[in-house]
Amino acid sequence: MDGSPISQRFASLIDDRPEEGMFRVDRSIYTDKAVSQAEFENIFERGWVFLCHDSQVPNHGDYFATEIGRQPVFVTRQKDRSLACFINACSHRGAILTPLKQGNAKVITCRFHGWAYGCDGHCMRIKEEASGFPDEGFDRGHFDLRAIARLGDYRGFLFGSLSADGPSLMEHLGQTTPWIDLLVDQALDGLEVLPGSSTYVIDGNWKMQAENAVDGYHVSTVHRVFAATISNRESKDEYTGMKKTEAGRITGQVSSRGYDLGNGHMAIWAQHTTPEVRPIYEAKERLEKKLRPAQVDWILNRGRNLYLFPNVMLMDNPSTQIRVMKPISAERTEVTVYCIAPRGESERARFARLRKFEDFYLTAGMATSDDVSALEDTHAGSFGRASRWNEFTRGLEHMIVGADDDAKALGFEPATTSPDWDHETLFHGLYRRWRDLMCDEGATR
Amino acid sequence: MTGECDLHGEVTRLVYREAMLLDRRRWNDWINMFTEDAVYWVPAWKSEEETTNDPDSQLNLIYLRNRGGLEDRVFRIETRDSYASVPLDRTVHVVSNVLVESDAGDEIEVTANCLVHTYGKKGGMTRGGLYDFMLRRVDGTLKIARKKITFIDDRLEGPVDVYHM
Repeated sequence: MDGSPISQRFASLIDDRPEEGMFRVDRSIYTDKAVSQAEFENIFERGWVFLCHDSQVPNHGDYFATEIGRQPVFVTRQKDRSLACFINACSHRGAILTPLKQGNAKVITCRFHGWAYGCDGHCMRIKEEASGFPDEGFDRGHFDLRAIARLGDYRGFLFGSLSADGPSLMEHLGQTTPWIDLLVDQALDGLEVLPGSSTYVIDGNWKMQAENAVDGYHVSTVHRVFAATISNRESKDEYTGMKKTEAGRITGQVSSRGYDLGNGHMAIWAQHTTPEVRPIYEAKERLEKKLRPAQVDWILNRGRNLYLFPNVMLMDNPSTQIRVMKPISAERTEVTVYCIAPRGESERARFARLRKFEDFYLTAGMATSDDVSALEDTHAGSFGRASRWNEFTRGLEHMIVGADDDAKALGFEPATTSPDWDHETLFHGLYRRWRDLMCDEGATR
Repeated sequence: MTGECDLHGEVTRLVYREAMLLDRRRWNDWINMFTEDAVYWVPAWKSEEETTNDPDSQLNLIYLRNRGGLEDRVFRIETRDSYASVPLDRTVHVVSNVLVESDAGDEIEVTANCLVHTYGKKGGMTRGGLYDFMLRRVDGTLKIARKKITFIDDRLEGPVDVYHM
């Protein structure tokens, strides 16, 4: 913390006194435009953010366009199979270079004035170069595309940072890698993002979406209607076996945990009541041969939501999902969801995985739609400034510092463990990370 | 020619009637317009220019394999326990451009367009879609055996359900 007035103001928005039984967050962090502006600069455009999965750019010249904070970028596959990521703006007048969100272009030609770049970012051709630039001393390389400062790959999950400084990707991911490994290692032939995605805009702040992904406490209220609907459906006999969409965790009393994983990352799990209806269950024997018993147990028997600070959620619950969010402003958040699946799973498992995804995870589905409405109401309620605080103290007295036996068995060291996913102390980690970055000396210039 | 006109009239009335039942929230009458094995399909967008086209291996916004899927949707709305469905958005479907694409006697393929004006917490908004129907004559009455909706809105504002389409 640098002690500047703005830094002091941001710090005052997090009331962090767990030893006195208090942890609360000023609701203006969701609505204040100055906060939002500082988040773009201090969080999204400095640290590591998720970009895409490597299966979305499989071949030489494939590109995937996205943003880091407010800055357009594209990831592109090189001839030697490596990956690069550039600011998605022509060096000439700044036009977006990629005509589509995803496509293939070994040579990317700007559609405005015709400047052409190799997918390695090299400026190859300037239209009518000779008539406009001097014959001698002109360096076309001056107009090469600007690569982002750092591009990182953790087992196929690609992250970028616009800052050359700061922690490495592995330092940033920290204790989350055993959780990512659970998704990667269940796919014995690799993971692939399936065709088709859905993008929706929430009239709400991005941090509410971050909270929602690992908020076990809302499940038994917001999603009890999903459980009731599924229960009603399954009273009809054709929904049997893998065709069932499991809802047991919503109503059943099952084991669950919440973890503050450090660096703003959080995770929850709940025991599956009917693991045998999950598409991955067909791989049980193969998994048992390759992985440790604890890993197999976590993959088959626990529904897991992982939030990677600041912009992506990896979910393995009724189906398997990458959920990416982009703040648009304090009050608007764009979310895109993808189904990610093990390559080579049976047609039956693939079909079931997709249908479970559509049942639950889409804004046209029967659960995520209810989450979106709840988040929008929460955002609207945050304008009630006379009621200032969101308290995150539920479960404080049961919070375990460090790991529980389950975490030790899998092999990660959380900052804290909540013995029940209805508890809310994992959010302390999110907001401490948020405060540290928002008040960072180098960031508030 | 008379038969063709009769069929066009019959099909148009069916398309209009479906829209009317949705807007007036006559859910059970709406469901009864579908055959028991009716497929209700809203593909996702695979890119800016193409939707997904294979539900076995690709993601959709909605893919319901039979009428039970529609019953699930109505069940959820009627519980009054769905956050996204209370209050229920008001809708006005304007359907037009009804064309009989093929008539194989028992099975008739029909295309139509819809504009759906919605009013709710977010104010008013209008979305568009292309309808592809497969109609089947069951005991003399035309029923919907398949409805595919190409929902042209891609970046969706808030929740959408079957009555928004």
